[in-house]
Amino acid sequence: MGNNNEQDIIIKLKNLKKSFGFGETEQFALNGIDLVVKKGEFITIMGPSGCGKTTLLNILGLLDSPTDGYYELNGVPVEQISDRKQASIRSREIGFIFQSFNLIPRLNVIENVSLPLTYIGVGHIKRLEKASAVLRKFYLNEREYYFPHQLSGGQTQRVAIARALINDPSIILADEPTGNLDSRSSHIVMEELSDIHKRGNTIIMVTHNPRLTSYASRVITMLDGKIDIDRDLMPKKNSNKKRPLGKSSRNNKRKDDK
Amino acid sequence: MRCLFTNHIGNAFQALKSNKMRSFLTILGVAIGVASITLILSISQGATDIISRQVLSLKNNLIVIRPSSERMSFDLNKIQQDKTLSNLTESDYYSSKDLEHIKVAAPIMILSGKMESNNRSQQSSIVLTTNNFIKTANISLLSGQFISDNDSSATAVISSQLATNLFGTSDVIGRTIQTRESTFTIVGVIKKQQDPINYNSVDFNNVLITNIKNNSLINSGSLQFQQINIQADNINNLSTVAKNIKNQISENHRGETDFDVLIGNQISQPINQVLGVITNITIAVAAISLVVGGIGIMNIMLVAVAERTREIGIRKALGASNFDIVSQFIIESLILSVVGSFIGYLFGYVLSFSISIFLNFKPVVNVNIATTSFIIATSLGIIFGIYPAARASHKQPIESLRQYE
Repeated sequence: MGNNNEQDIIIKLKNLKKSFGFGETEQFALNGIDLVVKKGEFITIMGPSGCGKTTLLNILGLLDSPTDGYYELNGVPVEQISDRKQASIRSREIGFIFQSFNLIPRLNVIENVSLPLTYIGVGHIKRLEKASAVLRKFYLNEREYYFPHQLSGGQTQRVAIARALINDPSIILADEPTGNLDSRSSHIVMEELSDIHKRGNTIIMVTHNPRLTSYASRVITMLDGKIDIDRDLMPKKNSNKKRPLGKSSRNNKRKDDK
Repeated sequence: MRCLFTNHIGNAFQALKSNKMRSFLTILGVAIGVASITLILSISQGATDIISRQVLSLKNNLIVIRPSSERMSFDLNKIQQDKTLSNLTESDYYSSKDLEHIKVAAPIMILSGKMESNNRSQQSSIVLTTNNFIKTANISLLSGQFISDNDSSATAVISSQLATNLFGTSDVIGRTIQTRESTFTIVGVIKKQQDPINYNSVDFNNVLITNIKNNSLINSGSLQFQQINIQADNINNLSTVAKNIKNQISENHRGETDFDVLIGNQISQPINQVLGVITNITIAVAAISLVVGGIGIMNIMLVAVAERTREIGIRKALGASNFDIVSQFIIESLILSVVGSFIGYLFGYVLSFSISIFLNFKPVVNVNIATTSFIIATSLGIIFGIYPAARASHKQPIESLRQYE
């Protein structure tokens, strides 16, 4: 079981620190984070504003680099990964969903969704086919040639999720994906994320909304740049139907955080 | 890789299209620069071609000896000195004129002076030469005869333009003209020349030609020639003759090769140094406008980078590497400069052909000019695109994303 455990670990953080400013004005957004994330977990990170949730997520997604500490992604220390390789990891293994959607306004829906594919060298037609297939899953295939400003908030976020999923990433990082949405839209988005999780993806989501923790398998609460509470939740009743990879997290609850 | 490249091109066109006015103005800046360079190059090459044609009309068996000098000299003082100071001497002429296979030889000494007659005066060139000159130059007489080598009295041939300016008529045979304290009797009038420039570096529309034996005009004892024209008896002997002349004069000059023996197309190249200098100066001015155009590209690319910082962040978050970002912006600036220079190239020719309506020579269309403008364009695009592109790519993705949030 122990061996199996090691293989399942995709993210390992040791005493991770991130500071802004220098000297007396130096402030720690992250002040010693230790965290182990296993494959198939659905983690929500909660906490008050300014506690470092988003900073943590950005570092996990290789969008930002830590000031100090150790970060291992899929068994490789991130420090040793070149810029070019990091870009390739971002495109192949990580799907990022932003609170502000971050679609490119000049490009239409299908072009936005297919964007990650361009950077791994997929041809134009194949790109569009794949993007179209993903959009169909999200019932957005009628909106393919709309521009981002012509969509509602919920639709925009679903496009952003479709874009995050197009490369079949193993890790989905979501920074308050429902922060800008009304309750109905956020329900749809959360159902979608939950569905993705059931297909075996690892999801790490930052949120302010405590009600959304009901979708998660593990809830982390942060305070002042540190992890305050870290608890595993009982998986939802109906969740073991489609979740082949979620088992380990259920069996090892409360043991994984050393 | 290839599809990534086409994707960058598509992206760049889209980005440029979304800012039509801005792209248009940038392209215009480059186009003006390239147009002026194309114009200057094609016109100056057209001028050079006139001389080639003159040489061809002499059945290609012409040899020209000139003192050597830097062909594209910017030193105007030096050129003026060259007009009077030359290292081709009388002995060079006499020793080479009777070599084998030479049909005729004519030395040319060029002075200038104020022509006076009937209380009117005009500055013009004075050519001292021999009767053979008319056989080696592209001039013909309107009336009278050319200077004779046996004339004891001081005779001269003048251009019809000069005759009209001084006497009010071109019927001036037998009249006298004063210059440099000498008096000449006019024996012939030269027809108006269609070509303003020629390989003799003399404006034959404003000239007085007299015999070199009548050296009252020359202050110092020794003769110095700006040029010696030689006609070989047969085109097949041309290179042999040129070689013999070279050896002979080299011997006279104690082995120093301070002169050029030119045949065929070589003659037309350093024709008129003043023309070369003027061309270079105008090219320098045009180059300044090109640099300004390039800075325009850089400016626009910097604006584009600033404006699309967030887009850069998004692209990087989705897996674009620094190289992808750099290529995207470099391609954008390349498109601006290549399109600009293509338009400039066409526009330059439109201009030079419309200008050539008023000139009596045609501008030259050749591969060199096209290649020049293409090289200019690509280097403009790369040089002035690299800084903004590098700036765009070296931002941390999260910093770019935070912009305008």
